[in-house]
Amino acid sequence: MANSLRLYLTCIRNTLEAAMCLQNFPCQEVERHNKPEVELKTSPELLLNPVTICRSEAEKCLIETSINSLRISLKVKQSDELENILTKKFLRFLSMRAEAFQVLRRKPVQGYDISFLITNYHCEDMQKQKLIDFIVQFMEDIDKEISELKLSVNTRGRLVATEFLKQFI
Amino acid sequence: MAATSVHKFAQCITCHAWSPDLSMIALCPNNSEVHIYKLSEDKWERVHVLQKHDQIVSGIDWSYRSNKIVTVSHDRNSYVWNQEATGWVPTLVILRLNRAALCVQWSPKENKFAVGSGAKTVCICYYEQENNWWVSKLIRKKHDSSVTSIAWHPNNILLATTSTDGKCRVFSTFIKGVDAKDSGNSADTRFGEQIVQLDLCFCWAFGVRWSPSGNTLAYVGHNSMIYFVDEVGPSAAAQSVAIRDLPLRDVLFLSERMVVGVGFDCNPMVFVADESGLWSFLRFLDERKAASSSAKYGSQFSEAFEKFYGQSKFSASNNVEQSRGAHDNCTNCILPLAKQRKSSVTRFSTSGLDGKVVTWDLQNQEDLLDYL
Repeated sequence: MANSLRLYLTCIRNTLEAAMCLQNFPCQEVERHNKPEVELKTSPELLLNPVTICRSEAEKCLIETSINSLRISLKVKQSDELENILTKKFLRFLSMRAEAFQVLRRKPVQGYDISFLITNYHCEDMQKQKLIDFIVQFMEDIDKEISELKLSVNTRGRLVATEFLKQFI
Repeated sequence: MAATSVHKFAQCITCHAWSPDLSMIALCPNNSEVHIYKLSEDKWERVHVLQKHDQIVSGIDWSYRSNKIVTVSHDRNSYVWNQEATGWVPTLVILRLNRAALCVQWSPKENKFAVGSGAKTVCICYYEQENNWWVSKLIRKKHDSSVTSIAWHPNNILLATTSTDGKCRVFSTFIKGVDAKDSGNSADTRFGEQIVQLDLCFCWAFGVRWSPSGNTLAYVGHNSMIYFVDEVGPSAAAQSVAIRDLPLRDVLFLSERMVVGVGFDCNPMVFVADESGLWSFLRFLDERKAASSSAKYGSQFSEAFEKFYGQSKFSASNNVEQSRGAHDNCTNCILPLAKQRKSSVTRFSTSGLDGKVVTWDLQNQEDLLDYL
C-alpha cells in the first residue's frame, strides 16, 4: 500500500476512534422520539464540529458527529470517465443493499459518493474497534475493487473489439 | 487485580442500583424492564422483573433507608416501587414532563428525589402525606439543553446538575413543609434559586458528584476533561484536568481526595488530590495488556471482507478475542458499595454497554490507600 494512503487511513482511523463516543439520547424536540441528531440537526448544541480529511481534491472524507450518531461520507478517487461510471454504479449497487451492511446510509451526503451512519445502537451491539476496522477496510477495498473492475472492463473491451474486427480480416 | 468480580447480566446495561444490604442488584437490560437479581450461593438469580415502563429505563436508584426503588424512563414517567409481601408495588409519579426523563437520585434524607430530563427541566419530587401522592415541583427555564446528570449535596437542599449545554449549575431545592428551616445555612434560599453556574466546559457535561463532605464538586466534559470545584458559591475555585484518553461519562468520590472516573475508555481512571488540594490523574485501575489496534490490522482482512459482502453479519461481534480488561465497551454507571453513606469507600461497582457489572476493591492497591 502506498505510504500516503496508509497515512490517510490512519488519520481517519484515529479520528473515528475519538468521534465514536456515542450514547443513547432521546430527542429534545419531539416527544417520545429517539432519532440520530446528526440527521435531524434540530439542536445545534448537540452537534460537534465536522471534520474533513482530504488526501487530494478528488479523495476526501467528512466525519460529522453528534451526541448519539456519527456520519462518515467518502469521496472516492475518480481519475477518468470510466472510473466515474464504475464508482457510481458500484456504490449505487451497495447503497441499494444498505440493510445488509447495517451502517450504510441509503443516500450519500451531497457532494460525496457514499455515506455511513453509525448510531449508538450500532455501538451497543457491535464492537467499536470492529466497526472502525470495517470502515477503514471498506475504504481500502473500494479503490482495489474499482481498479479491478476497470481492468476487467478494459480486457473485455479489447476482447470484444478483437472478435468483432476479426470478420473484416 | 482491582476487579473482584465480573458478571455479565445482559447484552447491554443502561444503569444499575444496589439494595441497601448489597445482596440484590436492580438493573435495566437496555429495554423497558428492570430486573432484580439476588446473589444466592455465589450465583446471581433473577428474583423480580419490574414491568411498567414502555420505553427504555434511563435511571434507577434504590434508597438506603426506606428500601424504595425509583425508576425513570424515556417514556416521561417515573415509578416509586415499594416492597410488599406480594412483590414490588409501583406508584406512579406524575412528573409533568413532556420529554424523556434521563436520570434520577434520592436525596440524602430520602424525603425527596430529583429527576433530570430532556425537557431542559429538573423535577424535585416529594411525598405528600395527606394525598398519598408523590408531587413534582419543576425547576424551569434555567437549562438550555437536556439535563444529563444530577447530584444531591449531603445537606439535602443543594442539587448540582450538568447539561448538554456544557454548564454545571447548583440549585436550592428548599421546599416548605418538607425541609426543616434549620437544615444548614442555605435554608434562606427559595426553591429553584440558582446558587452558581459553572461555565468551564465548551462541550457537553456529564456525571456530576459531590464529595462526601459536600465541599468539592466534580464533573466531566465530553472534551476529555474533568473539573473539580471547591467552595461552591460566589467565590468558587475551579480546577480542570485534561486527560489524554477518551472522554469520561461518570465519576465517583471514594474519599475527599480520590475520585474514580469511568467512560468511553472502558478502564476506570483514578484522580487524586495532593496535600495542597491540587488534583491530577494518577493511573488506570485495570491492568491491561498492550494490544494496539495497528498490530492486528492485517489479520482483520478476511473478517472485514466477509462483513463487506454482508455474508455473516454478526460474526465480528461474536468472537471476543480482543477483550482486554474487565469492561470492553463504554462504562456509564459507577456506584459505591457501602451499606450506609460513609466518608470513604473502598469498594464500588461499574456497569456499561457491554452488559457486565464489575465490582472493584481497592483493599490490595497499596498506592491508593493513602488517599482514602
